Amino acid sequence: MRLIGLVLLLMAAGLFVMFGTDPLGALLFRLDSGLLSLVQAGVQRYLLPMLWDDVLLPVLEAPAFVAPAVLGAALTGFGWMRARG
Amino acid sequence: MHILKSRPWNLPESRVTPEALVFNRRQAMALGAGMLAAGPAMAQQAGLLPAMRNTRYVPGRAITAEREVTTYNNFYEFGSHKTISPTAQRMPMRPWTVKVEGMVEAPRDYGIEDLLARMPLEERVYRLRCVEAWAMVVPWTGFPLSALLAEVKPLSSARYVVFQTATLPSVMPGLRQTWYPWPYTEGCTIAEAANELSFMVVGAYGKLLPPQNGGPIRFHQPWKYGFKAGKSIVTIRLTDQRPVSFWEKLQSQEYGFWANVNPAVPHPRWSQAQERMLGTGESVPTQIFNGYGDFVADLYTGLQGERLWA
Repeated sequence: MRLIGLVLLLMAAGLFVMFGTDPLGALLFRLDSGLLSLVQAGVQRYLLPMLWDDVLLPVLEAPAFVAPAVLGAALTGFGWMRARG
Repeated sequence: MHILKSRPWNLPESRVTPEALVFNRRQAMALGAGMLAAGPAMAQQAGLLPAMRNTRYVPGRAITAEREVTTYNNFYEFGSHKTISPTAQRMPMRPWTVKVEGMVEAPRDYGIEDLLARMPLEERVYRLRCVEAWAMVVPWTGFPLSALLAEVKPLSSARYVVFQTATLPSVMPGLRQTWYPWPYTEGCTIAEAANELSFMVVGAYGKLLPPQNGGPIRFHQPWKYGFKAGKSIVTIRLTDQRPVSFWEKLQSQEYGFWANVNPAVPHPRWSQAQERMLGTGESVPTQIFNGYGDFVADLYTGLQGERLWA
């Protein structure tokens, strides 16, 4: 778990160095311009509109490094606590 | 015993409206003028809507129920699901200005009330075919785009007309997705714009156009897929450059510039041979140019090299 956390933290650092504070959504849009509109339509039409607006969109609006940084820090911390018993 | 019961219509003399106020026509007219300036319902009260139906355009199908048309909408500025109607109600419809600019002799900003008063309003019952393979039949109120073009006088060098939708971040949650190529832009050639079917829509079902359907003013060319119709338009620009529209920038392989309806040319992810009627759910065969070939087919002679159908 700690290892996965550390990998995510390294990924976050890499994303920060490469893309600064560019939103994750903008980064994904550059990779594939049709991907997000497809996912958005799928989530909003077949699951729940609020799931996109209130959960996924805030993640996409945040700088690209934030999601792996938060997840990496959480996993690293949790793993560290578990290791200490 | 004599019992006195108070009836609802028993009012004390003090609550009776003064005679002078009831019969003061000037005050009543002033109230009417105030209402006229106040908001969207006023144009209806001013007698502009409902407009006379133009019977030249026969849809050949039953009109879709108003409730279906006003509650099942594509308007990405408000979300990519179909139930954006409640969110769209937050969009202020007045004041509203439409700027006509670019390659014209007489560029001009039109207030929406001014535009409604100046243009020859009529009702047309048109089919609308969405690229997603659903369809509806709507009595739109509006005016031919050619009437507006006649006022602003396009230069001979103008070749395309570009429509731009409003961007109102405070009421349009979709704009939070800053990576999309806002504002929503669509366009057509000037020959298509001048075609008699090209219609600027300001109403539906005899009422002013609601925001979820693209109010206060949208565009509609019934022989093209619905995404070509810009909603809540704030700018109309004439240009010599072919525009790259919103969806073309997003997924050019699926949504092109021409986007004429053709049942024989499938969308990359689904067939376009049939369409589902909104409301009834009935599946009916799609027609080339959405059944309007007699009006528009000649616009495309000599353009066989273009991707005319998607």
